[in-house]
Order: sequence, then C-alpha cells, then structure tokens
Amino acid sequence: MVGSKALVKRNKGALSWFLQRITALYLFVFLIAHFVIMHFTGSGEVTYQAVAPRLSSPLWKAGDLLFLIFALYHGLNGLWQVLEDYTKSRGLRLFFYSLILTMGIILLVVGTVTIFSVKV
Amino acid sequence: MKRKFKIFRYNPEKDKRPYYKEYEIEIGEGWTVLDAINHIHWYVDGTLAFRRACRSEICGSCAMRINGKNRLACKTQIKTLGKGTIKIEPLPGLPIIKDMVVDLDPFFRNLEKVKPYFIKYSPLPEKEQLQTPQEREIINEAAMCILCGACTTSCPSFWANPDYLGPAALLKAYRFIFDSRDEGGKERLEIINDRNGLWRCHAIFNCTEACPKNINITYYIKKLQNLAVNNQF
Repeated sequence: MVGSKALVKRNKGALSWFLQRITALYLFVFLIAHFVIMHFTGSGEVTYQAVAPRLSSPLWKAGDLLFLIFALYHGLNGLWQVLEDYTKSRGLRLFFYSLILTMGIILLVVGTVTIFSVKV
Repeated sequence: MKRKFKIFRYNPEKDKRPYYKEYEIEIGEGWTVLDAINHIHWYVDGTLAFRRACRSEICGSCAMRINGKNRLACKTQIKTLGKGTIKIEPLPGLPIIKDMVVDLDPFFRNLEKVKPYFIKYSPLPEKEQLQTPQEREIINEAAMCILCGACTTSCPSFWANPDYLGPAALLKAYRFIFDSRDEGGKERLEIINDRNGLWRCHAIFNCTEACPKNINITYYIKKLQNLAVNNQF
C-alpha cells in the first residue's frame, strides 16, 4: 500500500497526462462561456463594433491568451501522444517532435500578436 | 444442428502465409466454442493447434479471437454467436507459433516487470495477515484476473507498441499496490510511471470489453494514474 505522498521523482509522462486534463477543463469551461456569450446573451450581432470592446478589455485578453496557450498545448500534446504510439525510430520521433514544437511556437506568436493588437 | 467454423490456420514451417479453413460439424446442445474445436481436433483434423486446459474459465489458456472479439473459447456458448459462420483466430498482436497458439512471452515479460508477487520488508508476522472486508473490497475485482491475455492483446496501444506494459500487467500492479498487506507499492509505482507504462493508456476500453472475468480494467488503470499524479503534483 502506498502512503499518501510517496515520492515519484522523474517525469515520465505523468506531467503531460496531468496537464492534458487541466487544459481540457479550461477549454471546456471557456467554450461553454463562449457559446453563452456569443449565442445566448447580448444582441447576437457579430460585428466589429460589437466584438471589439470586449476583445480589448484586459481581462478578456488574459482569458484569450490562456485559451490560446491551453488549446495549443492540448491539441499538440494529444497529437504527440498519438505519434509517440506509432513511431518508433528516434529520427522520426525527433522530426515529429520538432515539427510540433515549431508549429506550436509559430501559432503561439501569431495568436498572441492577434490578441494584443485588438483595439477599440 | 450443423455449424460452420472458419478457422485461422498457419504453420510457419510449411505455409508461406496464413489462411482460413472451413469446417462444418454437427454440434450438440449447450456446446461451447471449445467443445467444437476439441471435436474438430479429435475427429476431423488432428493438425489443428490450440491451447486449452481447464474448460471452466479459470486457467485462461483458451483465450482466442472469436467472431472478432477476444474471448475464452470455453466460456463462449455457440448459441450466443448468432446464426452465421463462426470465425476463430489467434489473439492479435503476438507472434504466432501455430494456428491459435501464440507466443505469450511478450505478455509475461511485461507482467514480470511489475513484480507480480507480495513484497514484505517488515518482519513477517507470526500468523497469517488479516484484511478487513473493506480492504479486501478494494482489490477484490482486480484479484480475479486469470492472466488469459484477452485484454492486453485487444489493446491498440499494445498492438502499436509491444513494449507497453499493457492492461493485464497494470491491473496486476494495481492488485498489489492497493493491497493493504503489500509493501512494494512505491517501487511498483516507480516502474509503471513510465511512458511505456501507465501513460500509454488512452482509455480505449477494449481491455474492459474483452475481459472474460468482467473486470473493469480501465477503471483500475485510471486509479493508478490518479495515484501517480496525486503523488507528484
């Protein structure tokens, strides 16, 4: 029987499994909020005038940035776990891992720029 | 009543590639699939190879793929299989020795990795060690495993990567880690907390569906993942 705080030292997949669940929780709550705000409350108008004030508030920017980071992590981590199942050679794994990492970084930069550039 | 059986045949010493052979036999009331292939082996075609021993779903020898699902031949009543031809194949994901006989070495090697035996470091008690009914309840279902291999060989993660410990080994780890009398929990958790261990389970639930003992294997793997995460973060 393992006591409450047995020490499991190295990260061997536990962290990515854990973060996958944490990010999923945030994505779920955020998407529900998105549906409520966009489709069930407000005027239902999707115009720049209607959306820009919300997107330019710091709180929304923070939420969106978190969403961007979490969504990227969740999606790409999931993709990596599938690829890890089916690729065995070190070279191929390194290739896919770098591809995913590069994709993540590029999308993160583009997304961050988009979030911060919205002004009323 | 006559039933048709389409049986996987492969003898690596003679056949270039595997093939299916059809047998039509007269079956009796209450026959299991094992009764039928025993009949074929004894009276129709003696070259058919398969494993069996207890014929009462406790030894786990006769696990095979019947109509596309991993089951025990001795537990599968023919009349539950509908009207069509019954297709019998070896367990997938393992090297084939002959016909339904597969090489179970990878399966048992993975099992050995999780130390499937009691570990005790403190002095042994004078008498047998008792458990409360509540302590027993935690491991009761997991301890029902007969090591037939139906779960591990139904797992797509195992098909893709035979180094993955697989549901049977992880279930065995659960059975000892959550046993109140065992003291090897920490070292077992260290072993299964690995990219080829706990974290390769993607909750596909094939193992739970395949288990002839109806053990909810995925649930216990999730319990282990929970324990590993709670210990770390």
